[in-house]
Amino acid sequence: MRKRLSRRKLLTGIGVGTTTAIAGCASGQDDETASDSSSGGENDTSTATGASESQLADELTVALPTDPTMGVWSVYGGVTPYYTNVLEPLIWVSDEMELVPWLASDWESTGEKSWEFTIRDGVTFHNGETLTAEHVVWSFETILNEWSYAPGWLHIKPENVTALDDRTVEFVTTDVFPTFPGTIAHNMVAVQHPDRSRDDKTVIGTGPYQVANREKGQRVETEAFDDYWNGEVRMQNMTFRVITDPTTRSLALENNEVDVAYAPPSSKIDSLEQNENTSVSTQTSPGAMYVGLHNYKAPTDDVKLRKALNRATSQETLVETILNGIGIPARGPIAKSIYWSGHESLPAYERDVEKASSLVEESSYDGETLNFLINNATPSGRTIASALQEWYSEIGVDVGIEQVEEAAFEDAVRNGDGHLVLESSGSNSGAADYLIYETFHSEGDVNERLYNENETGVYNPGSEVDTIIEEGFQTGDRDQKEQKYEQALQIIMEDEAAVVPLTYQEYVVGSYADVNGLDLRPINEMVRWTSTEHLE
Amino acid sequence: MLQFLIRRSATLLLVLFGVSVITFGLMFVTPGDPAETIMRQQMGGQSPSEEAVEEFRQEHGLDDPLPIQYVNWLADVATGDLRESYFQETKVSTMILNRAIPTLELAVAGIVVAVAISIPAGIISAIHQGQPPDYLSQFGALLGISMPNFWLGYLLIIMFSVHLDIFPVAGVGGLDHLVLPALTLGTGMAAIITRLMRSSMLEVLDEEYIQTAHSKGLRERIVVYKHALRNALIPVITIIGLQFGYVLNGAVVIEIVFQRPGLGNLLIQSIFSRDYPVVQGVVLVIGAIFVFTNFAVDITYRFVDPRISFEGGNQ
Repeated sequence: MRKRLSRRKLLTGIGVGTTTAIAGCASGQDDETASDSSSGGENDTSTATGASESQLADELTVALPTDPTMGVWSVYGGVTPYYTNVLEPLIWVSDEMELVPWLASDWESTGEKSWEFTIRDGVTFHNGETLTAEHVVWSFETILNEWSYAPGWLHIKPENVTALDDRTVEFVTTDVFPTFPGTIAHNMVAVQHPDRSRDDKTVIGTGPYQVANREKGQRVETEAFDDYWNGEVRMQNMTFRVITDPTTRSLALENNEVDVAYAPPSSKIDSLEQNENTSVSTQTSPGAMYVGLHNYKAPTDDVKLRKALNRATSQETLVETILNGIGIPARGPIAKSIYWSGHESLPAYERDVEKASSLVEESSYDGETLNFLINNATPSGRTIASALQEWYSEIGVDVGIEQVEEAAFEDAVRNGDGHLVLESSGSNSGAADYLIYETFHSEGDVNERLYNENETGVYNPGSEVDTIIEEGFQTGDRDQKEQKYEQALQIIMEDEAAVVPLTYQEYVVGSYADVNGLDLRPINEMVRWTSTEHLE
Repeated sequence: MLQFLIRRSATLLLVLFGVSVITFGLMFVTPGDPAETIMRQQMGGQSPSEEAVEEFRQEHGLDDPLPIQYVNWLADVATGDLRESYFQETKVSTMILNRAIPTLELAVAGIVVAVAISIPAGIISAIHQGQPPDYLSQFGALLGISMPNFWLGYLLIIMFSVHLDIFPVAGVGGLDHLVLPALTLGTGMAAIITRLMRSSMLEVLDEEYIQTAHSKGLRERIVVYKHALRNALIPVITIIGLQFGYVLNGAVVIEIVFQRPGLGNLLIQSIFSRDYPVVQGVVLVIGAIFVFTNFAVDITYRFVDPRISFEGGNQ
């Protein structure tokens, strides 16, 4: 069976940082009991049964696609802060992509670049010590010193994080950065105790589970932490195993070697659904997949050709056939689960072969082969590209597919090597502003190389859109941000047809029949295991 | 013998030098910037700033001209320092040591499976030349050669784990975790060895001394196993030695399918993430294993066939 966990509500508030917008209490949370669960209804996952302790199995085993003990996590004592619920950030992200007070019970902007965070009372580390502002300062200083990219990413330097008193931390950003709270609402920006050890491999967090045992490159075993500050957990033991190969991962689930398996290959989804012992759950994520079109390279620099490609594409068919129903047909390059995506106001370029063909004839296209870049790490990338290639050939446009290895892909895109590029984007944190900035602003990550070289770019429509994106980025007002970004996206999609939107992404998790209360989140690394049950 | 050892050691160093130069060169002509690739992975897919990337390059000496980079690396290796992974904050030597055990386990188990299948199959095939057992073993060998490793791996998992629930699907642990990967690796190798064993055996059985043995009225079994087998094994031993390359090659795919934390798995991950020091280190170790295996094969020859000497030429 398939459980849909999609959020179809109007979503609210992402990382907008002003005194008026999201100070911690604005989301109506009681200070004492932070909760990030949604209001339920159609969106609920399979609910926990409230089974008695004796009905629960000893442990729940989860298969992850990445190694939870990878060396990059030595800063946290060698265990990943993703998925495991061992370490927690100051701010969590709700199902509606809102910021939720977590280890910080409250925060506010106290100046153009300064922020004050109130640290929650009564939080205990796994070693029994109580969380204070000093611990938070130490945690931030540590990652800012250890990860060379962290200061640029979070817009703060280690010396600009200060404990004002036992419960208050001040952050001064390097520039005006309204999305600071959303940016640190990220698993990787976790709070830990200074006694954590790289050498002895000791992880000391505040999460509902603590590390009990590990085998490098194989598994991490965790056990429930009795003094957890935020409620009870159902399972006493959780084990996280790495199985990188998607087919093997789903076979391990079928064999009940694991109880939950992330991201089964799309070819296995049907069989997992039909098997009475297993089921799949889908969850919308703040990601989108689209074909980026080179706006400055002939012949895709001609808007008529770009509109023709849009007119030749059927998002619905793509989702229903190639993607096995996983994903939502898209109208724009920003996922619908992000409140300023503008989805409702964007044009739906219905597939119309006749109209598309006449647009091609009117355009400057002259039979040349367009280069279509695919990242070989994109699941089903080749299949999707082949379907598009077929549709485009129907309107007389010849496309050649070039599959590029992941490490070389980003470089090729920034060099403008492709006329078409199969892109997928997403956000791992509560701040999604960078999605529009990095892709469509001339100085954004994708475009700046060519923009600085010869004032062109790749997907950036130009100075008018740049200005609107900047205004949206800098405003702290939620409605104004929405209005600005929608305006920019309308130009991007309606006037310029800068990309061909494909889907708003969903991800898939398989689980065994005796698992209840799976609690997936839009940001999949922020899954919560506290309510999940594995029955005997 | 001493001369032989000195010659061999010189060859070893020369081969490793060649391997390291080629690997180093190949990695740098491969598109994709290690600094940017590694940071992007660390940042969960977000793009690092130009400054951060530049800092990374300087920190790891990636700004220097290529020959300088190579010489610096070689100097470190000469002192026994394989450097640290770009991505994992761990010494490459430590990583290789940790990962070598599962790969060696797999290699040995795979060869045992291959030998256990192929030597008897090859002998039977040769004795019953042109009869059903021969065709059967030839067909089996063809199947083994043609079947891709990863596919066979999945088939074995579906049959023995999911349906019959005898062996676990993935991971390392007890012997039960080793059975399916060893079968996957061993059957591919067995195919090649079976065919060689067959032809080698047929050649020996045609020799005059075998005819003599027959005419003396010795039993078939004694002729085959005492007189023919030892000589027929010489080329087979060579191939088993050379198959070590196949083992390491097969290990890459098999370790990914069965989620074994071995050298092959590490090599693939490191190539994709452009973790140069790890790629260099692993390739160097694999190269060394190759050369040593060949060396071991030569020594074994000496004992199997007294006509071969270390000084070259026949006695």
